[in-house]
Amino acid sequence: MSTDKIFIVLKREYLTRVRSKAFIISTILAPVFMIMLIGIPVLLSFLDTDKARVIGVYDETGVLLPRLELLSDSLYTELPPAPVDTFRAMVLANRIDGYILLNERHLTENAEVEFISGGTGGLSLISAIRSDLRSVIRDERLNREQVSDAVKDILNSRATIVSRKITETGEETTSTESLFIVGYIMCFIIYGALFFYGAIIMRSVIEEKTSRIIEVITSSVRPFELLMGKVLGVGAVGLTQFTIWAASSAAIMGGAGMYFASQMDTSGLVGDEAMAAAAQSPITMPEIGIGLWVGFVFFFIMGYLIYSSLFAAVGAAADNESDTQQLMLPISMPIIIPILLVGPVASDPNSTLAVVSSLIPFFTPMLMPLRMAMTDVPIWQLGAAVVLMSAAFTGLIWVSARIYRVGILMYGKKASFSEMAKWIRYN
Amino acid sequence: MQTHMSIVDVRNISKRFGDFVAVDKVNFSVEPGRIFGILGPNGAGKTTTIRMMNYITIPDEGDIHINGVKVGRETQPMIGYMPEERGLYKKMKVGEHLIYLAQLKGVPLDKAKTALRYWLERFEAIDWINKEVGELSKGMQQKIQFIATIVHDPSLYIFDEPFSGLDPINSELLKQVILELKASGKTIIFSTHRMEQVEQMCDDIVLYNEGRTILEGKVQDIKRSFGKRTVILEFDGDASFLDTIEGVHFNNRSNRFVEFTPKDESQIRPILEKAMASVDVHRFERVYPSLHEIFIESVKNDRSHVNR
Repeated sequence: MSTDKIFIVLKREYLTRVRSKAFIISTILAPVFMIMLIGIPVLLSFLDTDKARVIGVYDETGVLLPRLELLSDSLYTELPPAPVDTFRAMVLANRIDGYILLNERHLTENAEVEFISGGTGGLSLISAIRSDLRSVIRDERLNREQVSDAVKDILNSRATIVSRKITETGEETTSTESLFIVGYIMCFIIYGALFFYGAIIMRSVIEEKTSRIIEVITSSVRPFELLMGKVLGVGAVGLTQFTIWAASSAAIMGGAGMYFASQMDTSGLVGDEAMAAAAQSPITMPEIGIGLWVGFVFFFIMGYLIYSSLFAAVGAAADNESDTQQLMLPISMPIIIPILLVGPVASDPNSTLAVVSSLIPFFTPMLMPLRMAMTDVPIWQLGAAVVLMSAAFTGLIWVSARIYRVGILMYGKKASFSEMAKWIRYN
Repeated sequence: MQTHMSIVDVRNISKRFGDFVAVDKVNFSVEPGRIFGILGPNGAGKTTTIRMMNYITIPDEGDIHINGVKVGRETQPMIGYMPEERGLYKKMKVGEHLIYLAQLKGVPLDKAKTALRYWLERFEAIDWINKEVGELSKGMQQKIQFIATIVHDPSLYIFDEPFSGLDPINSELLKQVILELKASGKTIIFSTHRMEQVEQMCDDIVLYNEGRTILEGKVQDIKRSFGKRTVILEFDGDASFLDTIEGVHFNNRSNRFVEFTPKDESQIRPILEKAMASVDVHRFERVYPSLHEIFIESVKNDRSHVNR
C-alpha cells in the first residue's frame, strides 16, 4: 500500500469536487432545503389553526352550552329549535362545520353524544370536542351532586413532572423532548449524509468505468489505493461542507442573538422581563455537550467509511446507474432499519434492544448519537461500538476492494450476487 | 543472470476466468529496442496478457519479469500503457490531468510539468493546457491520451490496439511517435489485427489463438520459414482473365494487383503466360507470404488441429 498514491488520488477527488458547481450549489441548497423541511410544516400548522371552525349545539338541558361557551366561545354556537333537517342543511351549506344535540340523557345516563359533521373535522377537532364535553358533563354532574369545591379541585388537579438530569457538576433541567429532538436531528443528518456522500462515491466509480479511464488508472495504482483515496477524498469534501454549514449557522445564530439583544434594549425591556419572555418560549435549546459533538462527528465519519465502501462496491459491480437499483437493496436495508428503531430506542435508550441495535456497526452511526443525546451511554458500549465499527470497516473495504478490482474491468457483464461472491474469491 | 537480457520475459503464464481459459501456458520474450507485435483474433488472450504485464490482473500460474523484476508495483512506472478502452476525466483540465497521471507513476511535480510542456508542444496542443478535457474534440482527446501514456518517460511502451478508433491523422501521428520512440532506444509492444501496420513497423511478433501462442519470432524469420511460395502479379488491363484460371485461390485481389499461393510449381508458368497474353504485366514476383496470409493460414490450421 502506498500512502503517497492514496494521497494523490485523495487530492484530485477533493479538489475537482470542491471546485465544481455541484459542490457550491449543494452547499447552498442543502440548508435551504432543511429549513424548508422544518419550516413548512410549522408554517402550515399556523395556517391551520387560523381557520375558525363553528360547531352548532342544540342544547335541551340549557346548562351544557353555557359551560361549553365558557371553554371556547368561538367554537360553539347555539342552534335555534328547528328540525334536524335544518341543521343538516346548514352543514351542507358550510354555515357550520358540524353539530351536536345534547339532552338530559347525556347527563343522567352517560349516553353517547353524536357529532354530525361535513367531514371537515379531522382528529384534532374531534378530540377537542370530546375533551370539552367530558369536562362540561362532569362539572355539571358534580354540581348537581353538590360536591364541595375542595373535591372539585382534587378532581381537576393533574400530576406534573419536571425531569432533571444529574451530572457530575450538579443538576441540569433538561426536557427529554428537547434531548430527543437533538438526537433525532443528528440521527437524520447522518442518515441523509450517508446516502448523499455514498451516492457520490458510487457515481464516481461508475463514471470511471463509463469514461473508460479506469484501466489507465489501474496501470498506475492498485484498486485498493484508488478506492481508499476516493473514499477519503469525498469524505474530506463532506467534512468541508459540514464545516461551512456549522460555521455559517453559528455566525447566523450569533448575529441573530446580537440583533435581538439590541432590539430588546431599544424596546426598553428590562432584564427580568426578557428572562420571562425567554422562559415562555416552548422549547428551550438544550446545552449540547462536547462529548455529544465528538460522538456525532466520530460516528458520522465511521458510518461514512462503512457505507461508502459498500456504495463503491455497488458502483464497481454495476455498468451504469440504472443497473444499481437491484444492487442497492442490500445497502438500503441496513440504512433504513435504524430509522425504524428510532422510536423504540428513544422511548428507552437503555433497553436491551437499544443497546444491542446501537452496537451493530451498520446501525451505530444513526442510533449511537441518538442514545448519547438522551442518556449517558456507558464507556464500554462506546468502546465496543468503536471496535466493532473498525472491524466492520476493515472487512468491508477489503471485500469491496476485491469486488471493485474485478468489477471495474468487467464492461457489459451483468453482476449478480453470486457473480460478486466469485469476484471476492478471485486472485 | 543471462548475458543477453530481455526487457520483458513471459514465462509459462496462465489465466482462467471461471471455466474459461483466457491464457494457456504462454511463453515469449521481448528484446530491448525493438517493436514487438502481439497478434491474434478477437478473444485470443492478447488483452489479458497485456493486463498481466501491467499488473492490472495477476496470472494464475507462471510469472512475468520486466527489466528482470517480477511484475508488481515496482514495474508499473517502467511502462507506458495505453489500453484499448481509453478515456480521460472529462471535467479535468488537460494540464492538471497529465500531471495527475504522471504523479501516479511516481514522477515529481516539477519534472511532470516540464515533460508535459514538451509533449504538448510536440503535439501542437500547448494551447489546450487550461481547457477541460470534455471541451476538446475526439481527435484532440486522442492526442492527450498519447501524451498521458508517454509523459513519465518509461523505457517500455505497451499499446493495446493503438490504432483502433483513431482518425487517419492521429493514426499517422501515433505511427511516427512509435518509430521515434524506437529510434531513441525504447521498446514498444503493441497488439493489433491490422496486418499492414505490423508489416511496416514490427521487428518481432507473437501470434495468439485461443489463449495459446502458435507462432513467435522475428518477422523476417517467420516469413522465411514459410518460403517464397507467394506470387505477386501487378498489371494494367482487364482483370477478368483471372476468372478463367482454375484451382488457384487469389488473395488481395484488386483491379491492378493480385497475390496467390500456387499449390505446386507447375501452376506458375501457365498463369504468367495467360497474364502476358491478356494484360500488360508490370511485375511478376515470387515473394515470402504476407503476414496477413500467415495469420489467416496459421489460425485456420490451428483451429483444425484443435477440432480434430
